[in-house]
Amino acid sequence: MRITSLFAAFFALLLVSLAAPSFAQQPVDPKPLIDQLAKANFSQAEDLIGKMAAAGDARVVPVLQAFTDGDLYVRKTDNLVFIGKTAGNGFELVEPLTGESAGQVAKNAVTKIKVNNSLRRAIRSAMGGLTLLSPDRSVRLQAADAVMRSPSSENLELIEAALAKETDAEVKARMEEARAVSVLSSDRSVEEKRDAIQTIKDLGGRNALGILNTISGSIDPALTADVEAAVAALQSEQQLWDMAQNIWYGLSLGSVLLLAAIGLAITFGVMGIINMAHGEMVMLGAYSTFVVQQVIRDSAPALFEWSLAIALPVAFLVTGAVGFLIERGVIRFLYGRPLETLLATWGVSLILQQAIRSIFGPTNQEVGNPSWMTGSFPLGGMTITWNRMWIILFSLSIFFALLFLMKKSAYGLNMRAVTQNRRMASSMGIRTPWVDALTFALGSGIAGIAGVALSQIDNVSPNLGQSYIIDSFMVVVFGGVGNLWGTLVGALSLGVLNKFLEPSVGAVLGKILVLVLIILFIQKRPRGLFALKGRAVEA
Amino acid sequence: MITNFILRALDGKITLTVAILLVVAALVPALNLLTTPDSALHIPTYAMSLMGKYLCYALLALALDLVWGYCGILSLGHGAFFALGGYAMGMYLMRQIGSRGVYGNPELPDFMVFLNWKELPWFWYGFDWFPFAMLMVLVVPGLLAFVFGWFAFRSRVNGVYLSIITQAMTYALMLAFFRNDMGFGGNNGLTDFKDILGFPVQADGTRAVLFAMSAIMLSLCLLVASAITHSKFGKVLVGVRDAESRVRFLGFRVENIKLFTFVVSAMFAGIAGALFVPQVGIINPGEFAPANSIEVVVWTAVGGRGTLIGPIIGAILVNAGKSFFTGAFPEIWLFALGGLFIAVTLFLPKGIVGTIRQGWTSRKTLRAAADQEKGRGTALLPQAAE
Amino acid sequence: MTTIAETRTKSLLYLDNVSVSFDGFKALNALSFVVEPGELRAIIGPNGAGKTTMMDIITGKTRPDTGAVLFEDSVDLTKKDEADISQLGIGRKFQKPTVFESHTVWDNLELALNRKRGVFATLFYTLTPEDQKRIEEILTTIRLTHRRGELAANLSHGQKQWLEIGMLLAQEPKLLLVDEPVAGMTDAETAETAILLKEIAKTRSVVVVEHDMGFIRDLGVKVTCLAEGSVLAEGSIDFVSSDPKVIENYLGR
Ligand SMILES: Nc1ncnc2c1ncn2[C@@H]1O[C@H](COP(=O)(O)OP(=O)(O)O)[C@@H](O)[C@H]1O
Ligand SMILES: [Mg+2]
Repeated sequence: MRITSLFAAFFALLLVSLAAPSFAQQPVDPKPLIDQLAKANFSQAEDLIGKMAAAGDARVVPVLQAFTDGDLYVRKTDNLVFIGKTAGNGFELVEPLTGESAGQVAKNAVTKIKVNNSLRRAIRSAMGGLTLLSPDRSVRLQAADAVMRSPSSENLELIEAALAKETDAEVKARMEEARAVSVLSSDRSVEEKRDAIQTIKDLGGRNALGILNTISGSIDPALTADVEAAVAALQSEQQLWDMAQNIWYGLSLGSVLLLAAIGLAITFGVMGIINMAHGEMVMLGAYSTFVVQQVIRDSAPALFEWSLAIALPVAFLVTGAVGFLIERGVIRFLYGRPLETLLATWGVSLILQQAIRSIFGPTNQEVGNPSWMTGSFPLGGMTITWNRMWIILFSLSIFFALLFLMKKSAYGLNMRAVTQNRRMASSMGIRTPWVDALTFALGSGIAGIAGVALSQIDNVSPNLGQSYIIDSFMVVVFGGVGNLWGTLVGALSLGVLNKFLEPSVGAVLGKILVLVLIILFIQKRPRGLFALKGRAVEA
Repeated sequence: MITNFILRALDGKITLTVAILLVVAALVPALNLLTTPDSALHIPTYAMSLMGKYLCYALLALALDLVWGYCGILSLGHGAFFALGGYAMGMYLMRQIGSRGVYGNPELPDFMVFLNWKELPWFWYGFDWFPFAMLMVLVVPGLLAFVFGWFAFRSRVNGVYLSIITQAMTYALMLAFFRNDMGFGGNNGLTDFKDILGFPVQADGTRAVLFAMSAIMLSLCLLVASAITHSKFGKVLVGVRDAESRVRFLGFRVENIKLFTFVVSAMFAGIAGALFVPQVGIINPGEFAPANSIEVVVWTAVGGRGTLIGPIIGAILVNAGKSFFTGAFPEIWLFALGGLFIAVTLFLPKGIVGTIRQGWTSRKTLRAAADQEKGRGTALLPQAAE
Repeated sequence: MTTIAETRTKSLLYLDNVSVSFDGFKALNALSFVVEPGELRAIIGPNGAGKTTMMDIITGKTRPDTGAVLFEDSVDLTKKDEADISQLGIGRKFQKPTVFESHTVWDNLELALNRKRGVFATLFYTLTPEDQKRIEEILTTIRLTHRRGELAANLSHGQKQWLEIGMLLAQEPKLLLVDEPVAGMTDAETAETAILLKEIAKTRSVVVVEHDMGFIRDLGVKVTCLAEGSVLAEGSIDFVSSDPKVIENYLGR
């Protein structure tokens, strides 16, 4: 839901800005004005520059730039003005507006148009004004940003002039901010500056904080208190955003944990099977993605954007089938002997790892990211990457789909019946071996789907599963065995806890601390956060 | 009382095993040192070190068996105790390098100089003194086991949960030891040892002594384990494994029983680690890897848990197999190990020794039953009615 | 000379207003119950009445939400754990026979023997002639002498029940709690068990939970009927079994 409304807002903004009227000035051809520079004295030149600026044609910007740089020349033969670049012994002449080459000339075939400081100042403000007045809104935005980066009192009037004409809301806002910044470095009245501080404060974010911090030293003493208050407010706001960003990172890590653990929540949590090969199911899912992408690259590259969607069912079926075989081949002989199951499934995990290593080699495989998985967008003071965003959504949807399956479907009912009282269930006509095998296959299949998602953010190698297995068990045990909600809460809270420890103690120590905390927590609540009670679990 | 305790340890099979171990402890070094390389009986040094390594693994497996086979605590973190013992020994060996390191610093090991440390961290104090280091080989793993077990057993964490948190424990330690600021050499661990008690670690003579020590320590620990399991305490231990609540309701403090066993077992593992390190010449955080601890479980399971000889046989067989496979068909080793795990749990749940023993006792009871039938024809009747 | 304290020491076990609930379900509801020293008491009641839960509370396995549980009028059992309570002299037989299956019958009894139970005491324990004699006596009592060397796993169901009772005897408890001792026994075994329990009750207090009315009649003792976590009726078997509430709740018409 959230994401669609975000999209809507984004598109609305885009449309508004496209529909915004561009500057409706009569285009005045600046060419004659340029050529008049050939015979103008300094004060006439200043006049001409003013006229060029007023014409509002951004094409003169390079000309003006060349003028300040002293690269503007008059061709003696026809008194036309060109931009000249040294080439060999002479100059390469360039048409000032089009940038087309006008051929090479000898040095003495042209005269340089002279420039002095007062002209330079005029040119600078003309250039600022021109870009601020450009019909192209992105140029105007850039110009406003440029002003904001290097505020000066000269720019102030320009920007105020531009503001007066600006109609595009976003550009206008940006210009307001640029104006505020310029006001602060001008000699305007204290009241105006105070307003400017307010505007910058409202701008928010690290930029605003940076601006205020840089000017705080040189500001009018009357305003020091205002600046300090604004800085403090911004800092606390910044802290909130940092916190939000941290929570986001935590949720993102938590969703990865959730993905890794959710299949285990079924095989271990519900069925009580210590499936040490769980990580390898995740790994198989990731390799399925790799294979699907290989096939797509070879035969239908156009489908690449869809590769993950195609990989999902493939991974589910592949790992589900492997899970089914493991249950039928090994685990079914070991029900009621959890520690033995642990050993046998560890054996299975070794075999799967080695099998993958033999087939694909020990190195990391390249799994591509579709374009919608790459990049990021800002949200307030945070940056949100698309891949994390999708993974969070994906893990939550798997979670809820599974919850629904378990609680609402007939199959889920059978499954719970079997896991709670096998004998009773079988005497009620439920085919318990079938339910066992399917449940284990389901848990494995979900691990496989998780592998598809994790292939996007982790190295796809035969060891992929090993890095998740301990975390997954921790999540399930911490959350409370047999309770899907526990797994959700466990995963997300461990993720957030980890990310909050990280800044102060570092990633590795943070992880160690989390492990130690879980170990201690299990002493307090041996059955996890959301413990099942009753005699069944005590046996 | 004490003599009884010790005498009980010497049942037939244990005595035989100890005797074999002691013969090996004398014979192998002798064949290494006293024969020439071209002699048919010569045992090359590398082979002796390899066998020494197996003996250390056997001791580790014995340690695990004490808690798993007898007390039902499946520890997936015994590699941690082994590694801690190894690190304690490694620290002693590091201090013996003195100024012969690359940087020639008489006080600081090379890696500390490399990290720009100015002085020895406090926890390295005393490790240059052999008796202290050997004490730490026991104390550090023992203390960790004590603290961990104190909490875990008191709050009655057991079964699978305990296994999982022991695994988390060794995993956390691995992460910690990988950090350079821990002061144990980080990623590279401790290595480049020069000498032990003044003898060069690489020399054949030293290696022979280390090998002999491994065999002797294994026999010693086997005797201790045997004394424990043959005592009334050992019977309580099995009781805890089979019916924990019954033991509780008989008035025993199960947490203390488990704690004692866990600590003893951790110390055994520490000894194994300490003997292992000088023979392989390195200790690094990889020893804490959870996979290592799980491998120990396989050795024990293969040999037969709940028997004292089983884990020794299992550790030696599996590791000999590993050496062979990784040399001859490296691709196949993990398939073989994985297959072994599955096969043992499915078809040989009691392990090699357990299965043999079972066959033996069932033959014995059959024979006893037959005798009884011949002797007192009616004695079996009430039982038959059951 | 009789002190005040001694005259007050009338009850061996005293439960007052004990309640416990699991996830909102009241397994015991203001249960009050007294056992005199030397008494043999039978408890009956429908499944789920809370009989086993009551034993859990007495032996420290479950903590009550409210209420007092006193042993010998002075020891607060709610503050102790299973091992403490066992050492105080309360033995318990589980509903499902629980013996050490991989130990011999003899070892089972040896472990149960009321000796020091610390780690080092057990490490260095040696069987003394008097302990040996005691175990042999118990073997006779529970009629398992001929199977002393056999693994407990090989015993029949009824023999395991007896072995468990034997282990309790070895514990020398002042109070013995026995949960459904004759479930799954043959009629002959049931009758023998009744004799055995009466014999045992000569030297200590026994509380027996049982469904088998014939067995209760054989015991011929005071009966307490529990239902829905509290006492429904108490008295002789004839008195209790003619109580209309008991008939409705338990015996059925
Ligand atoms: N640990 C427990 N967790 C949840 N419910 C329990 C627990 N122990 C007992 N109960 C419930 O309390 C009720 C009383 O059980 P119990 O004492 O075993 O009855 P009885 O032994 O009289 O048949 C039953 O409904 C049982 O399900
Ligand atoms: Mg009951």
